[in-house]
Amino acid sequence: MATVAETGAVERLTSLVDAPDRYDYSAKDLRQAQIDAMNERFQDRVNKIKLLKLRADEAGISEIRSLEDAVPLLLPHTAYKSYPEGFLMDEKWDKLSKWLDSVSTHRVPPINAAEIRDVDHWIDKLQESHHYVSCSSGTTGKSAMLVASDADMAWCKREAPQAYAWGSGVKLDRSRRMFGLAPVAKVPRNEATGEAYTNALQDPNFERFHYPVPPITVGSLTQMVVARKKIADGTIKPEELAEFERISAERAKAVEDAVEITARALVEARTDKLHVTGLWAGLYNVAKAVRDMGYSAKDFNPENSIYVGGGLKRAKLPDDYREFVYETFNIQPERNYQNYSMQELQSGMPRCQKGGRYHLPPWLVPLILDKSGDALLPITEGEYEGRAAFFDLSLDGRWGGVISGDKVSIDFSPCACGTKGPTIRDDIVRFADIEGDDKIGCAGTVDAYVRGMS
Amino acid sequence: MNSLTELNTAPTTSDEAVDSAPFFINGKVVEGNDATHRSRDLGVTFATPKIDLDALVRPRTELPPLLNVKTSEIIDFLCEAGQKLEDPNNPHVQACIDRMAKVSLAPRAVIEHQMLHATDYLDKKVLTEVVEQNFPNPKALDEWVPHTDHQGRRSFIRAYAPRLIHVLPGNSPGMGVRSIAQSALVKSVSLFKMASADPFSTVAFLRTMADIDPNHPVVRSMSAIYWRGGDDAVERILYRPQYFDKLVAWGGGDAINNVMKYIGPGFQLVSFDPKTSISMVGKEVFASDETIAEAARLNAFDVAMANQEACVCSRFTFIEAAPEEADRYCKLLAEEIRVDRMGEGTPRPLDMELKEQIDVLRMMDDEYAVFGKSDGRGVAIRSDEPVDFHPLRKTSNVVCVPSLQDAMKYVNVATQTVGVYPFNRMPELRDHLASGGAQRVVRLGEAGPSAIGNPHDAMYPLHRFVHWMANEDGVEGQ
Repeated sequence: MATVAETGAVERLTSLVDAPDRYDYSAKDLRQAQIDAMNERFQDRVNKIKLLKLRADEAGISEIRSLEDAVPLLLPHTAYKSYPEGFLMDEKWDKLSKWLDSVSTHRVPPINAAEIRDVDHWIDKLQESHHYVSCSSGTTGKSAMLVASDADMAWCKREAPQAYAWGSGVKLDRSRRMFGLAPVAKVPRNEATGEAYTNALQDPNFERFHYPVPPITVGSLTQMVVARKKIADGTIKPEELAEFERISAERAKAVEDAVEITARALVEARTDKLHVTGLWAGLYNVAKAVRDMGYSAKDFNPENSIYVGGGLKRAKLPDDYREFVYETFNIQPERNYQNYSMQELQSGMPRCQKGGRYHLPPWLVPLILDKSGDALLPITEGEYEGRAAFFDLSLDGRWGGVISGDKVSIDFSPCACGTKGPTIRDDIVRFADIEGDDKIGCAGTVDAYVRGMS
Repeated sequence: MNSLTELNTAPTTSDEAVDSAPFFINGKVVEGNDATHRSRDLGVTFATPKIDLDALVRPRTELPPLLNVKTSEIIDFLCEAGQKLEDPNNPHVQACIDRMAKVSLAPRAVIEHQMLHATDYLDKKVLTEVVEQNFPNPKALDEWVPHTDHQGRRSFIRAYAPRLIHVLPGNSPGMGVRSIAQSALVKSVSLFKMASADPFSTVAFLRTMADIDPNHPVVRSMSAIYWRGGDDAVERILYRPQYFDKLVAWGGGDAINNVMKYIGPGFQLVSFDPKTSISMVGKEVFASDETIAEAARLNAFDVAMANQEACVCSRFTFIEAAPEEADRYCKLLAEEIRVDRMGEGTPRPLDMELKEQIDVLRMMDDEYAVFGKSDGRGVAIRSDEPVDFHPLRKTSNVVCVPSLQDAMKYVNVATQTVGVYPFNRMPELRDHLASGGAQRVVRLGEAGPSAIGNPHDAMYPLHRFVHWMANEDGVEGQ
């Protein structure tokens, strides 16, 4: 059900999701509508999202009248991991719910901690009150906890296949066999988009390939974080540590074994029209196993398609890893889909075939900031670089304004592909990665004394 | 092209756009803008000469220049250099402060203060005491000291001049001076790897020494250059026992992690590990308003010194109190931390992530209480257990414990200095603190000053630096 706020500018922009010309609106033409829409969101949310209220009061902002006004109201991507870790480790589910409430649009009901078994149970319980919590995976640090609503889940299902179809040129005609080549985190958002892709692409005569590694649950991620903390504190007993290392090794072995199993399944299905997805490291390893079995492009269907999520994630691969993967599975360049997005948003920026750039839809407002993320860079002629921040007008369950850790180059002039919307160059890097860690000082934490957990 | 500039000349005026960070190699200044780098903390660009690896390594067939210079003469030279460093007309130091203010996280006033006080160490009494505390018999630095064991076997022992690489921290110019002095005291041939947060001060100090006597063996024994920490192209070459005996490293991070793969037989690590310091405040603090005020003020000294960048700065205060009592203390502590004792003016805003973490705790008001503001001037957070982020930029976390003994579980190998209030509770705590891994117990408010020549990070550093050499000379009467 649409709320009052959604009948205005927000609705006008988000309703373009199915419009064939949605990437063809110039930023200039959209600007006023986007500002109006951000203000609509702000007026509705400022008294619902506590963290937003705090930001607004601090900055003295009561209305968004310009792009600049929105900047102090952006939340850093780290806001969603700002909960005290002790809440999670010590299973204070009531407190964790209270924290979640401070970043949620819709009230998170109080939870009786005694009734909750573990974090996966907590997430299930929240789902009963229509709060869908997705977690980012990080083995060494805290997971971000992103709360979403029914409307958000519906949006993901609607938007993701549309963006895919635009960027890849692949018809959503349920004619493909889908092969996911990476363990997927079992979180509501992934399940929603997974379901949407399956409905759009998967040939109903076949079962979708099940990657032979148990899905990553938030509970399993949490166990890693807890173990790391206990190692740092020195409270872990050597036997417990040995057990933990054994489980880690087992999981690593399962991932390794999956390569062979997946490669065999792909070879068996090689004459069918395939859609392959995964991360580069996993795709490369499977491709290599397929080659080792003696198969390559000539054996696979020339209409195969691919969707790679994320960058290299620090994996060390040969320089030609992309070509190697494409050539193994016979992927033509026009069926190679790339998308720029982030966990904190729920809308994608598909890459066009001709210009090779990521396109922003009208409901995603680009706010390119200086490196420190404090000030909006003036919008100039041609391409310029800065810290990426966006306002995703489609977001319902949490605040749409997010500052990322990414360094991007944006261009507000038309793309080589002919569309007029703003685009981002395909060379996104994380500030953290380009800077490395050249900082040394005598001050530091016990984290520097933890071995073997990275 | 690199060029050797004449010594005894004032530093060249820096380019408006990019500051030059010259090198100092075996007593000579090397200028050049062949490579540009970005400082880690603030992303400021600076330029350095190209590295000439050959110039950085002295063949082992050559005796160290300082080997036969008496320690007392070295101390005299260091003291003279100290006076030159303090001279307000010293062009190297003044130019260096300007450049450092751009790359350092510390406010300019803090940098000036640190540069000025760096020379406190270069005092005859201080240096002599450092040597005497580090070596049971300091003569071993100057000569082969005879010793005969109880079975009559004769030896001559020498604390022989080592070949050292120092990976300097970037958070305190005082460490550069200290490292230069300590290197000279053990007569080492030393290469200093400067940090991107301070690629200037060590060279400024060395240039000042060269102004006194460009051919002095102390000057000729020293080189200081910059490369990006973890740069394999440099480290793979230099980090070898054939070239150096020991690597003296401060801190953690990539610069240190990367070093580990080069450590092996003959190439040892002397590490000053990354540390966190804490405070412990007993229930006695609540005896009167005066005692609360006194402890909060002392505690604030330990938190806020050097803008909380150093390892000795207190980050957590464990207090024997219930939350309501702790809040009284915490409020005063925040006020004291927020006093601008260094004249730093308007501070830089807090890092987004840190600010977010603190602001979120503000909203969790039944578990946490936040005093002060997250504006970079100072904030104190009361909680039942330590916060899970690293308190920085004048941030103190006051943690309620039923008894200080209950705080021992938070003490670990990364815990360096523990400031205690009231002072008479130190004896009951120190065995437990040492067992937990801590290295230093002081009165609250006295984390900053340190007793001369004391162990640092659970060792006597100079004793670790030297190459202990024995010449055995048969048995008496044979």
